[in-house]
Amino acid sequence: MKLHRIGLIAASMLAAFAAHAENIKIGAVQGLSGPPAIVDFGESYLQGNQLALKEYNATSPKHKIEFIVYNDEANPQRAVSLVQRLISNDKVSAVIGTVNSGNVAAFAPMLQQAKIPLMAGPAIATDITAKFIDQNPSYIFRCSMVEKFQVDSMLDWGVKKFKKIALLHGTGGYGMFAAGEIQKGMKARGMELVAVESAAPNVTDMTPQVLNLKNSGAELVLMFHDSLELLYRAMPKANYKPVVAGNWGLSSQMVLNIVGQEALEGTVMGQALDLGDAKAAAFNAKMSKEFGDKYRWPVVAALGYDGMRILLQALDRAGGDPAKIQKALETTTGFKAVSGTPEKPFGPKDHECLDAENVFLGVWKGGRVVKLR
Amino acid sequence: MKSADLVQLLISGIAMGSIYTLMGKGLLITFLTTRALNFGQGDFLMIASFLSMTLLLAGVPVIVAVLIVVAVLVVLGVGLERLAIRPLASMTAGSASSLAWILTTMGFGMLLQNTAQLVWGKSRFYSPPLFSAKQKEVVEMMGARFYLEELIVAVLAMVVVAVLYWFLFRARWGKEVQAVSFDKATASLLGIDVRRVVATSYAIMAVLAAVSGILAGPLTTVQAHMGLLFILKGFAVVCIGGFVNPVGILIAGLGFGIVEAVSNYINSAFGDLYPFLIALLFLIARPSGLFGEMKTDVR
Repeated sequence: MKLHRIGLIAASMLAAFAAHAENIKIGAVQGLSGPPAIVDFGESYLQGNQLALKEYNATSPKHKIEFIVYNDEANPQRAVSLVQRLISNDKVSAVIGTVNSGNVAAFAPMLQQAKIPLMAGPAIATDITAKFIDQNPSYIFRCSMVEKFQVDSMLDWGVKKFKKIALLHGTGGYGMFAAGEIQKGMKARGMELVAVESAAPNVTDMTPQVLNLKNSGAELVLMFHDSLELLYRAMPKANYKPVVAGNWGLSSQMVLNIVGQEALEGTVMGQALDLGDAKAAAFNAKMSKEFGDKYRWPVVAALGYDGMRILLQALDRAGGDPAKIQKALETTTGFKAVSGTPEKPFGPKDHECLDAENVFLGVWKGGRVVKLR
Repeated sequence: MKSADLVQLLISGIAMGSIYTLMGKGLLITFLTTRALNFGQGDFLMIASFLSMTLLLAGVPVIVAVLIVVAVLVVLGVGLERLAIRPLASMTAGSASSLAWILTTMGFGMLLQNTAQLVWGKSRFYSPPLFSAKQKEVVEMMGARFYLEELIVAVLAMVVVAVLYWFLFRARWGKEVQAVSFDKATASLLGIDVRRVVATSYAIMAVLAAVSGILAGPLTTVQAHMGLLFILKGFAVVCIGGFVNPVGILIAGLGFGIVEAVSNYINSAFGDLYPFLIALLFLIARPSGLFGEMKTDVR
């Protein structure tokens, strides 16, 4: 009789567990083909997502996760139709991605309307979550660098250290946006740029722009163009060696491979991963082991890893209900990040995993990016 | 403008302009024999850049690398003619769809882009220098500094123009090209092997693309989509120069490169706009190009 009762209790517990264990779908939209700069971001962020999922699955989790990955080819129309497919056909519980801020701006309202959480990244435009934060609740979160934060930390450092600062930016969407933020930031700090040069996205030579930068006497050149390497190609011809500072793209291993250690030495960029930290170093080693030479961008991969882990932890607690996942994301605490992400990444009025104080400057030193002291 | 800056801009402009010239000449030679332009020619250049980069990084001597790249590109060029041009010419002659070569050449180019992404990946690369010992070795002249590659690409463009000029206007093959260009059937009746002449013109186009790609690699960034801008500018150059004469294309190519460099120096925000704007205005004033004939083609 007693055994029978124990059996009944065990059976009801198993049934209760089975009721909570779910098959949950997460959709990823990522820029995996198109311009090389986009692909480098997209692949690196996705590598971080994949490692986080692999580790989650290795813990024998409560829920079975299906990860559906689509390539938006850096095309906003394609990104919108893929997100529609994720919502209507795949019936995902959450979405993660993508590189182009314009693509995120195009599909974020769809996810907000469908009440499905979005973990945006590695898109960088400042206002991605801010546009939705007053909606109650907002389903738009981000785990990525924020342009304003990296520009602010760069300008705070730059105006203290240099008298003449110039800007070289792209004429594409991102370059124009970054140029606007920098010009606003310089004005707010009571300084003017000594030269503003620009170049089309597919430019093949930057010699004319570099000659102008040299003639302006700029000691610091802020580089916000996708073809980062072309600046370094033209500088020896102009016999010009200013300090170069730019967006977090400058920390990619790809830039080191193309430009070379000697030319890149002393180049400064926005950062959110300190490889001097033990946790970050361990992550770096794991990624190298997992992806070999296809792993080339620690900070982007780290934010992809942290973003996915925050999402998976929220799913673990909330199950597949998107509304519950949204709440779980906002109430996440005690999170141990490898990037600069704090222990409580989000709140009802803060959907950015990185805050201004978590972003710092990195510098290329001896073939590695280290924290600028 | 400082005089040293002007010299620097002229050299940079002439170097890039020389590559546009070589691209323009590739377009001209296939146009003469088949009335078709290879819109995938920029992707031929891209494949040549990737191949030469791979061979040079593997330690293959420059001359051997050049020969291998040229050989591979010739196979591609002849293959393009055989697979994407010749079948259309026989199937669609005289109909509106005789412009189908636009689609097939672009399709061939996209095939090459995707193949490059599969083989080399989707990232950016930098080809090692061909003639300097180090990546950043610069030469100084009249206060201006430049890479040796820039000078060599300009000299080579002039040599290729001279050779092409001689072939087209002095050699027997050139006369055959002109006959095929005038009328294929008549040329055939005169005993000219039209297929051989056409195939040779595609091989020459491929050689020009190979040389452009090998030289462009160390000057710019090597990536799967690099060909688009070169073919666009090459097309503008051949329109300005006129679809008849390599000398016109040389003048247009160098001019385009110099205007591009100077306009980026004067106003980098619209630096790429001015050369195309000037090209447009020039073509309004002279639609047949520098050396094109103004009279109506009644063929």
